[in-house]
Amino acid sequence: MSKTVCIIGAGALPVGKYQRPRDAAIQVLERELLAGVVIAALDDAGVGKEDVGSLVFGIERDYPKQRYFATFMANYLRLAATGTVMEVVGNGMTGGLAFDKAADEIALGRAKVALALGINMESAIPTGEHLNNSMRHTGDVDFHTPSGFMPISWYAMDAMRYMHDHGATRAEIAAVAVKNRFHASLNPLAQYRKRITLEDVFAQRLIVEPLGLFEVPGRADGAVCIVLADEDTAKATGQPYLRLRGRGFYHEGAHQISEVPNDMTEFIAAQTAARTAYSEAGITADDLDLAEIYAPCTIVEVLVSEALGLAPRGGGARAAHDGETTLGGRIPICTSGGCLSRGHPPFVTGLYNFVELAEQLRHRAGDRQVANARLGLSVSELGNYNAALVHILEAA
Amino acid sequence: MGIEIITLAKPRPYPPRQSEFTQTFWQSLAQGQLLTTRCGDCGKYTFPPKPICPYCWGEHVTWCELSGRGVLYSYTTVHAAPEVFAADVPYDLGIIDLDEGLRVATGITGTGTPKLDAPARAVALVYTDGPLLAFTQDDI
Repeated sequence: MSKTVCIIGAGALPVGKYQRPRDAAIQVLERELLAGVVIAALDDAGVGKEDVGSLVFGIERDYPKQRYFATFMANYLRLAATGTVMEVVGNGMTGGLAFDKAADEIALGRAKVALALGINMESAIPTGEHLNNSMRHTGDVDFHTPSGFMPISWYAMDAMRYMHDHGATRAEIAAVAVKNRFHASLNPLAQYRKRITLEDVFAQRLIVEPLGLFEVPGRADGAVCIVLADEDTAKATGQPYLRLRGRGFYHEGAHQISEVPNDMTEFIAAQTAARTAYSEAGITADDLDLAEIYAPCTIVEVLVSEALGLAPRGGGARAAHDGETTLGGRIPICTSGGCLSRGHPPFVTGLYNFVELAEQLRHRAGDRQVANARLGLSVSELGNYNAALVHILEAA
Repeated sequence: MGIEIITLAKPRPYPPRQSEFTQTFWQSLAQGQLLTTRCGDCGKYTFPPKPICPYCWGEHVTWCELSGRGVLYSYTTVHAAPEVFAADVPYDLGIIDLDEGLRVATGITGTGTPKLDAPARAVALVYTDGPLLAFTQDDI
């Protein structure tokens, strides 16, 4: 019988820019940053390094020099493991998958304590050069990329179609950026904390129409370690913890775009994965107290909020504009500030979602605490939400 | 049938690779012919062209010509691009639903602002080193 999976601790760097240019005499090394985060996470969890049985890393970006980073870090921290030491990759889903596979280690009884961790370093790579690389992650490198597609261009086309189909206004969609910045102003881990207005959002230069600078993610580095454990271990710490109540995954068998015409902004993968997770948890969307959504652009948060059943179809932008997804509203979304303001170091963004859930569900989120938060959802994705991975956590 | 050929006096910024199989698509496109594959067993079209049917996994695929006619499903104008496309900004990208029931994503070329749900037609952009497929809403 599978064991109950718990989150008992977390550590994270404030999202920001740590990486130095390649020619800088003094470099910031991934190993040193992540080691500090791991030690802080185990301290938070109240367990020791000898308790750790498995290490599941999100893969690094291509830029850091050290390869085979997982086994390198096992050495750096002298962490012997009986379950597994591995790296997972899933583009934007990487952080979510690291958590998911670490959870499997606990559920299967292979480890009493497992770490889901990773570091994403890219901010010193010029954006145009970085996009030369990231454009190969989305779509077909022979049939799409040669025309100039890159990751956020697909979301921009979602925005155009969504406005056309549902009559949502630019202001309603842009409200997501204002809301997330407000949340980030209350989060010490956030990259962008100065509050903004709709006028500020519209004053920015266009990036991929209709989206401007404040509706697409900035460049960021980050590092996270989540400590998972079985429930006996979690109880023995004597501290508050989270219980994993439900999990859902769906890949629609399409990469970036379905060659069969469909309703592209419906995000079938998020709908299906959420349905599975709600069913496993025995809850409905209405039971959730908060959701941390992997949403690199304003429009993505709108579409995912609908796909998860947190807003009616076609009404997600209006719900954001009306404050329903703001702290104190009907269903707070991205209380961390989300990709747009907490920051988006893509390969660990999924893990930052769990950091926020760990803070909120242990009632340690300070000024941004969701009152009486008991049930929270995290979702990460790849492509144009062609696949989605949903986890539902409960305050124990 | 056949589609319009627009000649450009420069190489493609990020050329696609060709295989023994897909070279048929690229060589035909350079001649103003838009081809894809269709399954001889289940009858379904696929795009991009593949040597197998992705639906029934049958191997009896045949090349067939597409009308190049469809409607624009969505588009964006890119202002901040990967370095290799920096010289081309701003440029338009779009998603087109073809009359044959296929959805494709390509560059959009033309004079006006792209219009959703309005007709679009395929064009072959023939660069000095080879072609790229694009769509336009001009002259329809």
